[in-house]
Amino acid sequence: MTSVVFWVGVLTLVGFYGILAMILNMEGGWGGMWDLGTAGLLAVASYFFVIVTLDDAMLGTRFAPGWPLWLAWPASAVFTGIVAFLVSLPALRLRREYFLITTFAFAEIIRQLIVVQDDLTRGVIGFSGLDRPFDDVVTGRDYNYVLLGLVAIGVVVVFLITRVVARSSFGLLLRAARDNEALALSLGRKVNRMRRETFVLAGVLIGAVAPLYLWYIRAVTPQLFAPAVTFTAWSALVLGGLGSIAGPILGAFLLIVFTEAVGLVDWSPDQANLATALEPFLVGMLLIVVLRVRPQGLLGERGAFRRATRRDRSDDATEPPANDALPAPAMSTPRSG
Amino acid sequence: MELVVQSVAKHFGGVAALDDVSLRASQGAITALIGPNGAGKTTLFNAMTGFAKADKGTIHFGDVRLDRLTPWQVARHGVIRTFQTPVGFPSLTVLENMFAAGAPHAAASVASVLRFRAMRAEARTSADRAKQLLRELQLWDLRDRYVDELSTGDRKLLEFARQLMMHPRVLLLDEPAAGVAPSYVDRLAEVIRSLRTERGISCVVIDHNLAFIMQIADHIHVLDRGRLIASGTPKEIADNADVMRIYVGSSAVAS
Repeated sequence: MTSVVFWVGVLTLVGFYGILAMILNMEGGWGGMWDLGTAGLLAVASYFFVIVTLDDAMLGTRFAPGWPLWLAWPASAVFTGIVAFLVSLPALRLRREYFLITTFAFAEIIRQLIVVQDDLTRGVIGFSGLDRPFDDVVTGRDYNYVLLGLVAIGVVVVFLITRVVARSSFGLLLRAARDNEALALSLGRKVNRMRRETFVLAGVLIGAVAPLYLWYIRAVTPQLFAPAVTFTAWSALVLGGLGSIAGPILGAFLLIVFTEAVGLVDWSPDQANLATALEPFLVGMLLIVVLRVRPQGLLGERGAFRRATRRDRSDDATEPPANDALPAPAMSTPRSG
Repeated sequence: MELVVQSVAKHFGGVAALDDVSLRASQGAITALIGPNGAGKTTLFNAMTGFAKADKGTIHFGDVRLDRLTPWQVARHGVIRTFQTPVGFPSLTVLENMFAAGAPHAAASVASVLRFRAMRAEARTSADRAKQLLRELQLWDLRDRYVDELSTGDRKLLEFARQLMMHPRVLLLDEPAAGVAPSYVDRLAEVIRSLRTERGISCVVIDHNLAFIMQIADHIHVLDRGRLIASGTPKEIADNADVMRIYVGSSAVAS
């Protein structure tokens, strides 16, 4: 019933959402910025990449510079970083749910702009049959393995970047400012600058991974950047553990594999509507069950960083291993970040 | 250096939180700020540290005009405050709280992660200092605990330890003794006195615990409804019938 190629595709999607969840984790988990604008930045990056790589063969637009891949890919990262910076100017004046609403509104504005600016973006039609690297070398179904490899490299790179940030003094200050902004300010920390840099770094990373998404889908249309993309990445993050280091990948794996497995069930045609409705319902149930048992997600921030601090002190041999014998006090209230 | 507040006023709507307040806190002294709830003590701290903008008046620390600066700029001039509720960084450990204060300012940029060698060297220095301060304040055994697992007394002590990582020149302490077990209050008093004698740090202290204030302060300013109603040594204030009536009267009702 299922083929290897199908699961290769699923894993590619897992990797892609894992990357988005890791980026959101840096912003939302450690930085305390509840960003719902991911799909917007992804759209900016995707359209930028597709438009600058267009050559004249493509129809219906007035702008086809035909940049080569080596130029278009980094340019897409830089351009998305610049857009993220511009978005951060109004958005970072706000906190928490107000920040969330602003970034969400930005993503929707981008999507509407794409529909309206049809001489540049081809409106609702978008672009399809995109060229992909190595397309002429590896053909047909085998290309899925190339894609999986590229996404796997992306996962590793983004994982390493976020891990280095998390374990650095910068990451510590970012988490401190999330916990208590007034206190961080009273320690002389430029909280706004730290958050802006994190937000821009997230934009750059989204810009860098967008081409992978395009090659997977092989098309660009406004519907591809619906809020569902952002919500799926957030669900993966919350499921895996907001603030943890490996949680986003684990969450993306469980969520995407679960969703795709639900889709594999053979339904009779008259039940197809029911099946479509059942999928988000089951995903919702999965979230509720996991968060009921583990409110902090499958992996927590505390576990991830406790190990890090222990290891850094391992050279301090004169000290007895303090508090290891003490039972950790039970958390009385769930911490939702 | 002296902290000088001159004719500072701050209004919230029609309420005068601060009404033409002028006072000074001399270098190396422990200056107390007392008064009933709503007298404007915390508002004055906020105005001194950039968390609130005064409507009029000036606040100087030496030659630096603090009332025009943002909170992080004030902190970098060595004027370090604490907060009434010792929340700290609740989801960080005690040691991480210390590092959050001890990390160099360059670390507040994402670019600093690329200079990890330099950052690691800085971290070692700050770790030594953190260790020393935690030992002095008897918090070392709690270093791997999360702040939201600590007692209020320990959090207050951590508040000191953390702010001392910043090498303050003036510490503004907002109700250090509030909510602290009586046995801790003497320890706090001792810590505050040692800040001055051993480190030469000036302190400005807000508190409602008069016994505590009388025990530590060199000089006391009394605020009531946004106005400075008296200034003097602890003895002068204790002998001031007006102050005792206004302050102790309303405070006795409140507690």
